[in-house]
Amino acid sequence: MFLKLLPAGLAYGILQVALRFKNDRELARHLKARDPHAISDLYDRYGRLTYSVICRIVHNAAAAEDLVQETFLRVWTRVQSFDQERGALGPWILTIARHRAIDHLRSIEGRMPAGGSEIDRLEHAALFTDFEISALSIDRARRIRAAFEKLNPNQRMVIELAYFEGLSQTEMAGRMKQPLGNVKSWVRSALKALRDELTQAAIA
Amino acid sequence: MMCEELKDVYELYALGLAEGPEKVEIEAHLARGCESCERGVKDARAMNAMLLATSPSVKPPRRLKRRVMSSVGIKHSGWGWAAGLAAACLLLITLWLGVEERQRSAELADARRTLIQVRGQRDQLRQAMNLLNQPETREIGFGKGQAAPRGNVFVNPSSGVLLVAPNLPPLARGKIYEMWIIPKGGAPRPAGLFAADTSSGGVNLMPGAVDLASLGAVAVTVEPEAGSPAPTSQPIIFAPVAGP
Repeated sequence: MFLKLLPAGLAYGILQVALRFKNDRELARHLKARDPHAISDLYDRYGRLTYSVICRIVHNAAAAEDLVQETFLRVWTRVQSFDQERGALGPWILTIARHRAIDHLRSIEGRMPAGGSEIDRLEHAALFTDFEISALSIDRARRIRAAFEKLNPNQRMVIELAYFEGLSQTEMAGRMKQPLGNVKSWVRSALKALRDELTQAAIA
Repeated sequence: MMCEELKDVYELYALGLAEGPEKVEIEAHLARGCESCERGVKDARAMNAMLLATSPSVKPPRRLKRRVMSSVGIKHSGWGWAAGLAAACLLLITLWLGVEERQRSAELADARRTLIQVRGQRDQLRQAMNLLNQPETREIGFGKGQAAPRGNVFVNPSSGVLLVAPNLPPLARGKIYEMWIIPKGGAPRPAGLFAADTSSGGVNLMPGAVDLASLGAVAVTVEPEAGSPAPTSQPIIFAPVAGP
């Protein structure tokens, strides 16, 4: 009940204490060794977060279950490319989950799905290295959420459309019936505000 | 394009949403190992993940873990939670039994104390009834015409002195009533400590033989809880005993 009230990122942070492997590095090493406990722990650590993100995108529980399953299967099959010493499991899994969910959304909306090779390139495990340990920290999740709340309605709308509906700026302009220049301006200013907040969090 | 012109679309690029010349330029920068763009896109990936993680938390159905485990060829027993639950229940039961045990011990001790008290009261009552039923027992009233305390002292040469004060008020914590036997021309002698309650007032029996010839009075004072060897306050009951 308590966890239900929290953003998924915060709930994820709280759950860390109860897991078998003490950190993502150890978990990744066991995943690569095909330790059955590792996939169980991976799910315990990221299952709820993944499901929450996918639900927000597809708004369909049954489809979300399928997509979570696909996400974890993909992690399992691609984990050998993951750098256990420098990699960040959380951002990688969320990227994979988002791509699966956005592809699903595009297919049911009759939009052009992203090319398979491009997705492979964007979510390649080797790209998710040298992240800060606190990449999904509770404090950062709070700050980014607060920064998001402070955006104006147009800025929030373009962020929603990009992150949770997978629309390009051209597609956003069409959806919002606004000139492309306006959309680009909102996207730019919104991302800058969020980026600045994360930079401040890193300094603090 | 310069890196500076591209930095606003790093996040869109990492999301797979960059378009047109900007997308082509970022790819070109990355292909030639542009450190600035590599760092910018890496930071963008981190921010994208963080934004996704702000999604409201939704609890997945329990079966989903089984599905995930099965899809990678691992049978999920599903009993881990049951073992955890059983352990938690065991712990709770143990704690509960511990608390219960302590509670029962305390209750038992209370019951023993009550039993001793009741037996004492029963014995006292039996002695009091015995004293009251004897023909040689003398009744001395006190406090007549006063609001409180009023009552009677019953004196029996062989059975002792019984004080009955039905409207004696209860005392504050730390205080107690003490009865005194005052011989004619002598100092008061302690004759028992007793409390009073609102329903029955105060009753005290000093068993044993009493020399009626030398008995001058029966008195009651308020004393500290442990009692006193000699009165420390003025008597609130004073019942003079006339000679036989």
